[in-house]
Amino acid sequence: MSITVIKPGLQTTIQAGPRIGSRHLGVPANGAADPLSLALANKLVGNDWDAPALEATLLGPVLRFEAPCLFALTGARTAATLNGAALLQHKSVVAMPGDVLAAGSAEIGVRVYISIAGGLQADDVLGSRSTNLQAGFGGLQGRALQTGDVLAFESRDTVPLETPEMFRLPLSTSWGLRTCVGKEAPLFADEVLARFFDTNWLIDRRSDRMGLRLEGPALESKSDGRMPSAGVFPGTIQCPEDGLPYILSVDAGTVGGYPRIAQVTRADRHILGQLRQGDHVRLLRRDPDEALEELRAKIGYWQDWLPDIEEILR
Amino acid sequence: MLTRCGDDLFSIDAASPREAHALALRLREAGEWLEVVAGIDTVILRFDAARQDALDASRVIRSAIAADLDTTERPGKRIEIPVVYGGDFGPDLDELSEVTGMAVADLIEKHTSRDYEVEMVGFTPGFAFIGGLDECFRMPRRKEPRQQVAAGSVGIADGRTGLYAMASPGGWNIIGRTPCKLFDAAAEEPFALAVGMRVRFKAIDADEYEP
Repeated sequence: MSITVIKPGLQTTIQAGPRIGSRHLGVPANGAADPLSLALANKLVGNDWDAPALEATLLGPVLRFEAPCLFALTGARTAATLNGAALLQHKSVVAMPGDVLAAGSAEIGVRVYISIAGGLQADDVLGSRSTNLQAGFGGLQGRALQTGDVLAFESRDTVPLETPEMFRLPLSTSWGLRTCVGKEAPLFADEVLARFFDTNWLIDRRSDRMGLRLEGPALESKSDGRMPSAGVFPGTIQCPEDGLPYILSVDAGTVGGYPRIAQVTRADRHILGQLRQGDHVRLLRRDPDEALEELRAKIGYWQDWLPDIEEILR
Repeated sequence: MLTRCGDDLFSIDAASPREAHALALRLREAGEWLEVVAGIDTVILRFDAARQDALDASRVIRSAIAADLDTTERPGKRIEIPVVYGGDFGPDLDELSEVTGMAVADLIEKHTSRDYEVEMVGFTPGFAFIGGLDECFRMPRRKEPRQQVAAGSVGIADGRTGLYAMASPGGWNIIGRTPCKLFDAAAEEPFALAVGMRVRFKAIDADEYEP
């Protein structure tokens, strides 16, 4: 059973769970930039939370179903259509052979997730079926979708579902990210650190799955802006020579040589996948143990709908 | 020294890349962690904060790093890496020659005349940071990083040789390229280089370059 790609969209990739445990070999996380929306999409079609699905970026793909299946759309808000008729997100939908899904353009947020009951077939490499675009492995031949691609899946019967209102991810153009101070925070004077947390930062256009550049007042550090290479993670906020913070995301390299001013907390890293050029973001300062209390509260909130929430937010 | 640098991250200071690597090995034996990444002078560790208490994690780390480390020199596996120096394969070699005042032939002779050690792997899959570079190669990274550096490129910066296992953007000064495949996602053993391995570069002619 398969789906034919009529138009690939701006950057549509197959993403599943992250690669964990091989950062010391230079292998980044990859996986859905917004894993919570991936899990919500898979939930609606009865898949494991990390089954391979499509991650569309801003302009979504146009797809033709060649076999009957159940599918669902979550993530960024989009005006999707099935055979030209408006389609609801957060609800599983039956497609018949020949049906054409146009995922539309993201209106708020960046990434739409399209799940198919049974999950898409994808290359399993270094512990995950997610696409690594930089090195070109995983997913569909390690690359973004192209016109004419055929996506294979094993269809499965499952009960249609709708995400309850309380479990739909709130989208915004003005965000808050809870963060803890990073290893090199002492390289910044108190008033500079205060400015970092007081500024309503603008998301720069140079933002993708590697990371998000913030636009705002430059931050002076007491160093020359370079340091010996050290481990970095999704959510690490570096402050390079130009003084403008850069938040690393799921495809970022595993080591970096710029001062790490802060770290987005585990509970909020999934938000990085929906921050869009022109959006605003505030970095909310948290003590590490306070952040873990909030992580437990978030896990408690979600586990009724997503029992694997602990792993989803890992 | 142990520093909390995020709600689920700890950083441990190390005196050298070799000590960082030894610490990372010991930490991996001492507990179940999501990631343990050795850097040049730190190890950074991510614990599963939803399943493990931060205090408990810090206790395991402290007891693991308390005992003395054996960082004495051990002969790691030795690998010879053929390199075409200069020309299109090493576009920054001429500039290095100008900056250092040394002839290109002397630079190649110097670079191939000793064994080096892989100090760190990271940045992109299989990218190797190789220490022990002669002082005459001291040159900072390029101000304008290249958008694309070819796989196999041999770069120098900050007293190290860097091996690009795959094509990526990069700011190192590229002096040559090896035809060896340093990273192959489909292979049973995807990484040609590992921390602690000995590396010897060998100059080859451009017509010997066969990927």
